[in-house]
Amino acid sequence: MKKYILLLLTTTFSFVLFGQDVEKEVDKPVRSPFESGYLIDNQTTVIPVEGTLEFAIQHKFGTMDNGFSDLFGIYSPGANIRLGLNYVPIHNLQIGVGATKKNMYTDLSAKWTIFEQTRENTIPVAVALYGSMAIDGRNKSVFGSEKVVDSKGPAEEEDVAFNDRLAYFSQLIVGRKFTHWLSLQAAVSFTHYNMVGWDYNHDMVGLHLNGRVKFSPQGSFMFNYDHPLKIKNISEQSNWNTHPEPNVSCGVEFSTSTHAFQIYVGSADGIIPQDIMMYNQNDWLDNGLAIGMTITRLWNF
Amino acid sequence: MKKSKFIFLTYPLAAVFAALILMAFAGSQDKKCGPEWDVPAKYKTMKNPHADDASLERVGKMLYSKHCKSCHGAIGLGDGSKAASLGVAMHSFAEDKFQAQSDGVIYYQSFIGRDEMPNFEKKIIDDEDRWALVNYLRTLKK
Ligand code: HEC
Repeated sequence: MKKYILLLLTTTFSFVLFGQDVEKEVDKPVRSPFESGYLIDNQTTVIPVEGTLEFAIQHKFGTMDNGFSDLFGIYSPGANIRLGLNYVPIHNLQIGVGATKKNMYTDLSAKWTIFEQTRENTIPVAVALYGSMAIDGRNKSVFGSEKVVDSKGPAEEEDVAFNDRLAYFSQLIVGRKFTHWLSLQAAVSFTHYNMVGWDYNHDMVGLHLNGRVKFSPQGSFMFNYDHPLKIKNISEQSNWNTHPEPNVSCGVEFSTSTHAFQIYVGSADGIIPQDIMMYNQNDWLDNGLAIGMTITRLWNF
Repeated sequence: MKKSKFIFLTYPLAAVFAALILMAFAGSQDKKCGPEWDVPAKYKTMKNPHADDASLERVGKMLYSKHCKSCHGAIGLGDGSKAASLGVAMHSFAEDKFQAQSDGVIYYQSFIGRDEMPNFEKKIIDDEDRWALVNYLRTLKK
C-alpha cells in the first residue's frame, strides 16, 4: 500500500512541476470555488493563502428524533465536538491537528491541492489529496479484552498496543466551479483502521459527492453525501450487519473575510472522516439526523 | 449580616454601571474621521489597468460584501455593523471629496490601510481583484 501511495505521489508531483510553470502566467486559477476549506464535515479543494492559520470548531448535537423533549438534540448526550488548527506553510499545502470528543481522537492531517481549476479551462478541474491519521486516545480499559488474535490455534487475547489505536483516511478530491454560483466535488477515499471489532472490516472504500449553491455574495446552500461501498472482495465478513450508513447532510454557509459559518443537519455522529466512513450507523431516512455547525476563523501572518 | 453587605455594594455597582452605559453612548457620538492620508507617490500615480472593465462588476461587488461591508456599510456610508465599535469614523464613499481621489490613492487606502483600516494584501491577493474592488467603490458615488 505504502509503495503505491509513494508512486502516486511522485508521479503526480513531477506532473505539477512541469505543468505549473508553463500555465501560471497565462491562465489564472478561478476565484474561490468554495469559501472555506471545510464543507460541513468534508474538505474542499480550497486552501487559504500561504501563511494562514485556521481555527476550526466543528460541533454536532445529538439526533433530533426525540423532538422537543431534548430540544431537537441540543440537550441530548450524544453530542460530538472537534477543535482543529490548520496552517498553510507553503502555497496550496495545509497541515493540521485536531481533537475530537468521540473516541478521544487526536488527528493529524494534510491537504495538498495539486491543481487549481483555471479561468480559461487550461485545467478544467481542481484536484486535491487529503490524508488524515487519527489516534484513538481512550483509556486501555475501554478496549478490555477486545483484541483477539486469531492464530489458527486457540484464540489469544492481547493488550491493546499504540499501533492498534491508529486509523487512516486518504482521499482524492476532484472539484469544478461550474458557474459563479455552482461548485461540485466528487471524491474517492480509502479508510483503514488498524483495529476494529470482530464484526467489522478494517478497510472501507468510499465515494463522496458534495457542492454549494451560492444565493448571495456571502451565503450558500451546501450539501454532502458520503457513501461507504460494500465491496465483497475486500470484506473479511460474511455478514454485513455492521456496514455503515451513508453520511447525508445539507445546510447553509455564511462567510466573511475571516470566518466561515456553516449550520446543517446531517446523519453521521462522527466528525473525522475515518470515523464517519467506518462507524456511522445513523440512517438519515430513519430518525438519524442531527443539527451541526462548522465554524472557522482565519489569521494571516 | 451577609445580606446587608450585599445591599451596601448595590449602589456603587449600579452607579458604575450607569456611568459605563452613559460613556458608551457619549463616546459614539463625537467620532471624527482620521487625518489626511499620507499616500506614497508610487501609489498616487498608479494607473488602474482594469478601469471600465465591466466584466469585473460582480467580482467587485462580491469582494465588497465579503470583506468591507461589515465596517463601511452596504452602500459605503461608513455605517456597517462594526462601525460603532471603531474609534475613528469613515468617510462616505458617496462623497465627492472621496471620489475625487485617484484610483491609486483609493488602492492604497483599501489594501495597505492604516490603524483601524485593516491591511488586505493577504486577503485579496490578485491585483485584478483589487482593481475590481476599486472600480466597485467608484459605483457607490451619489
Ligand atoms: C474593521 C473595519 C473595516 C473594514 C473591514 C474595512 N475598513 Fe476601510 N476603513 C476603516 C476605517 C476605520 C477607516 C478610516 C481609517 C482612518 O481614517 O484612519 C477606513 C478607511 C477606508 C478608506 C479611506 C476612506 C476613509 O474613510 O478614510 C478606504 C478607501 C477603505 N477604507 C476601503 C476599504 C475596503 C475596500 C475594504 C474591504 C476590502 C475595507 N475598507 C474594509 C475600517 C474598515
